[in-house]
Amino acid sequence: MHDGWGEKLHLFTLNGVPLLSTLILMFISFVPINSMQFNYFRPAIGLICVYYWILKRGNVFGYASAFIVGFLTDAYSSSSLGINILLMLLTASVTYWLAHYFRNSSFGAIWFIFGLVALGEVLVKWLLLMIYVGRFLPLWEGFFGYVSTVMFYPLIVLINLKIQNKFLPQEYIDE
Amino acid sequence: MGQRGVFLIKTAELKVWVRRIFVVILFIASFFFILLSKVDSVVIEAANKAVLDVTGPVMQIVEYPSRIIHRIYTYIYDISHIYIENCELRAENKQMMMLQNKVRALEVENQLLGRLLNYVPPAEASFISAKIIAESGDNFTHILLVYIGDEAVKKGQIVLGDESVIGRIDEVSGHYARVILVTDINSKIPVVVERTRARAILSGDNTMLPQLIFLRSSADVQEGDIVVTSGVGGMFPAGLPIGFVNSVQNGEITVETLADISRIEYVRIVDYGLSNNDADLTSEFDEGK
Repeated sequence: MHDGWGEKLHLFTLNGVPLLSTLILMFISFVPINSMQFNYFRPAIGLICVYYWILKRGNVFGYASAFIVGFLTDAYSSSSLGINILLMLLTASVTYWLAHYFRNSSFGAIWFIFGLVALGEVLVKWLLLMIYVGRFLPLWEGFFGYVSTVMFYPLIVLINLKIQNKFLPQEYIDE
Repeated sequence: MGQRGVFLIKTAELKVWVRRIFVVILFIASFFFILLSKVDSVVIEAANKAVLDVTGPVMQIVEYPSRIIHRIYTYIYDISHIYIENCELRAENKQMMMLQNKVRALEVENQLLGRLLNYVPPAEASFISAKIIAESGDNFTHILLVYIGDEAVKKGQIVLGDESVIGRIDEVSGHYARVILVTDINSKIPVVVERTRARAILSGDNTMLPQLIFLRSSADVQEGDIVVTSGVGGMFPAGLPIGFVNSVQNGEITVETLADISRIEYVRIVDYGLSNNDADLTSEFDEGK
């Protein structure tokens, strides 16, 4: 269908789809909702996408993508640049390891494991931020966000699944 | 196995090693960024600016539909409450007319007294209005991203919403600026309690109600007291309203902002011509005491 450079460009574009869709979903999650209370419930879309894409298409969404997702999250927060990058890289490492055992598990099992991964992420972020600002931070701020992240997981997975089936079907990966 | 086979195996092994080294570099880079952020490096500032410059236009496009939906909702809400609001406004208008007459008389008196004392008034503040296009990227921070266009905005400038302070400019990048809200954990503003002139620092703690800290234990503070900027540190001018004391419990004093930050769509970025924008507020406050 495509030859030489054309085929390479086509593959490059397809490989970029997971990262591009993740960034778009993240931008949507940053839209002002005109409710400060919503800030506590804002789901960590980037985290869900890093977990999903590494689990399902780890060959096209890797550490570099996780780094970019973390970078964007940091730029849209007042915390230190690097904290969310580190968290996304850690999430990527854990997910690559989990992918060996759970890649083909049921949706319920993968969702449950995501709940554990997200819990770990919130706790590590809470600790890092406390070290960074040098004072105690209430954990409940992260807890609401954690609950909403876990609740939003199926919706984001559904969107990512549609994107995956459209642009990165299994046949393409196996080629 | 031929030479070509050996070459392919070696290349595959090399690729694995390159990938591993790349991952290690990414981890080191993240640690490096955290350390640099702590010392407020220009590298970090440039990196943040670059991201905001690139993503700002995308964010503007993404937030546009939500803004329209919000306007439709607000329009319907306002229509349904128009009668009650009209009655309230009429009553308020009567009071305002009386106050206006008093203010005019006071203004004339003030000018006369000023002339008698050869008083030189401070320079007029200039301001620009900016549209909010994005909110915090995570649950532990309270920031806004605003579109400032071609206007000259500097780091540290004060941000008002509904005539009271809601935050300060943290980062300026091209046409966009990041605002740290008074509720954010990184926000610390020198303030005074208007009634008693008791000095304190208004410290954000990521809740909707920032706290008054470094307040003398003997200070008289009551619920409802208005909290205004003290001007200590030279970052904000004195006397700008921020909020009122919401609760005084077990030595913990919380403040509710006068502006309803949730309903703000546009903010005002004010330039009072103060140069000491990056002052270490806490230390200067301590020295000032």
